[in-house]
Amino acid sequence: MKSYKNIFFQIIIILLCILFFGFLINNLIINLIRTDLGFNFSWLLKPSSFALAEHVLPYSPSDSYAWALLIGWLNSLKVIFISLFLSTILGTIIGLSSAGNNILLKITSAFYVTIIRQTPLLLQLMFWYFVGFLGLKNNFIYFSNILKINNQGIEFFGLTLTSEFSALIIGLSVFTSAFIAEVIRGGIISVPKGQWESFRSLGLSERNGLLRVIMPQALPAIIPGLTSQYLNLAKNSTLAIAIGYSDIYAINDTIINQTGRAIECFIILLLTFLILNLLITNLMETINKFINKKKIYLS
Amino acid sequence: MIYKMHQKKVKKYIEKIKEILFLNSLNNFLIILLIFTICIFSLQSFSSVIFNSKWSVVTTNIPLFAFGTFPSDQSWRPIIWIVSLLLTSVLSIIPPKWKWLRKNLLFAWMGMIPLGIFLLYGGLGLQTVMSRNFGGLTLTIFLTVCSSMFALPLGIGLAFCRQSSLFVVKKLSSIYIDTMRAIPLIAVLFFGQLLIPLFLPLGLEIDRVWRAIFAFTLFVSAYIAEDIRGGLQAIPNTQIESAKSLGLNQLQIIKFILIPQSLRIALPALTNQVIGLFQNTSLMSILGLVEFLGIGRSILANPKFIGQYIEVYIWLASVYWIICTILALMAKYLEKRLKIA
Repeated sequence: MKSYKNIFFQIIIILLCILFFGFLINNLIINLIRTDLGFNFSWLLKPSSFALAEHVLPYSPSDSYAWALLIGWLNSLKVIFISLFLSTILGTIIGLSSAGNNILLKITSAFYVTIIRQTPLLLQLMFWYFVGFLGLKNNFIYFSNILKINNQGIEFFGLTLTSEFSALIIGLSVFTSAFIAEVIRGGIISVPKGQWESFRSLGLSERNGLLRVIMPQALPAIIPGLTSQYLNLAKNSTLAIAIGYSDIYAINDTIINQTGRAIECFIILLLTFLILNLLITNLMETINKFINKKKIYLS
Repeated sequence: MIYKMHQKKVKKYIEKIKEILFLNSLNNFLIILLIFTICIFSLQSFSSVIFNSKWSVVTTNIPLFAFGTFPSDQSWRPIIWIVSLLLTSVLSIIPPKWKWLRKNLLFAWMGMIPLGIFLLYGGLGLQTVMSRNFGGLTLTIFLTVCSSMFALPLGIGLAFCRQSSLFVVKKLSSIYIDTMRAIPLIAVLFFGQLLIPLFLPLGLEIDRVWRAIFAFTLFVSAYIAEDIRGGLQAIPNTQIESAKSLGLNQLQIIKFILIPQSLRIALPALTNQVIGLFQNTSLMSILGLVEFLGIGRSILANPKFIGQYIEVYIWLASVYWIICTILALMAKYLEKRLKIA
């Protein structure tokens, strides 16, 4: 009796959902016909006719929209993975120093974390771009050919990074590192104090003890938090549009302004982010599995 | 006697500090050196900006930062709203002894949105103000308060749906939550600003501010749902069993056992969401609403104040920082007070 009731209830919910989405899609079709746009993806093959300052693969304005989108996606990936790497290093250093018992380091890292966490990322990105890079003098740091930092960007061993790219990398890494530092601090604190005392009494050095005893136990608590911070980093990288870096969102925005294909571009954006999310979660899962395997082996 | 005890305590503290500071003097020396070099480096690079800064950018534009282009003779209206918001939050954190007030706090919070709409939009005897005149900190607070108030019940509902035994309900809510958590906020806001008009029937139009609130609500509710779900999973099963043995029905269990306990457990995460939401309202400045950061951007675009980035950014950052820190401190206090001894 009860299961029939449940099934009936669920069917009603499905019907309501279909009705609601049908209503929305009906409106959408009416509006698309009215604005004479229709719904198709054939525009993807037309030439994009906009220039991109930054591209990994060869690109010219006569290439298709699809190619421009791919370039944008690669640009996004470049930013995400570089700042993922940098923020992990920076966050680990800060997290360790805030979990240690040196008062000066603790105060400095707490100061850093509160300042970074309690101000919006968008503001920080603008600060890095407009003040941090565009506000620099023409030859701010200049060591012949090795390192040049000026308002054009960073030049390092002949490798030039534009100011937008560098500002985005620095802003994202600094912002994410504050969150990662909290995650790592939490993980280290979760290890019972007896573990510290026991490795000290065994005569292990602080560094060896931290690496061999504390970290392996803290990692299972750290990895899930780290994963969600990496996902946040990937999502936050879309703020690149505010400082004029051409990532996937910025290119979608340009295309919408040119062609008016808002619905199609939104679907593409959604799909790219679902793929990106899957990529990062799978990567972290393999790391997690690897760590768990190693732990079993150690014990 | 007491004085002597205090002296002893102070001496102890000083000794402790000495111990911490000078135990590992080489390390500390290196750290201090590092801090000094960073300070000198930043001083040198930004010295011209720091010593030649003109704070008139901020001081002359304070009303703009606070109220946007709200008519200046009407600016008492947002002030009243913000003050009443502050009063209610202080009352809910440090509750007075009066029982009737404590019982009606929820209604006071629910009344904040209609009050805000009435005071900001006008009507009913007040001069009407168009929503394009909203701006500055008022708009930021309006967006935050409205979206978080709508997102909380929606999030609770979604969390319960995700825990439900009905297959369809569970699947639908988890699809919603997972997709919302996968896409960036700016895409959702973009959806709210540009795509919602396409999905509405002809002739029906929603205000830009309300479209933004709608998008924020959709986004934040997914995150709140996950936080509440964490709280629900942390409630021990014995609680539900004992409630059942007392003869409570399903609705009563949800209302008296599950919601209060899960909210208490999820409180730190929820306040983080609110702080995040407050910061994320700044994204609307990219999509054309002049909230607090947007006002800063439009002031910087004014040829009179061109190039004074550092003053404006420092001002904006410090206001955001102060408000977020106050929110975090309040939440911490509330957490402490709600803790079961």
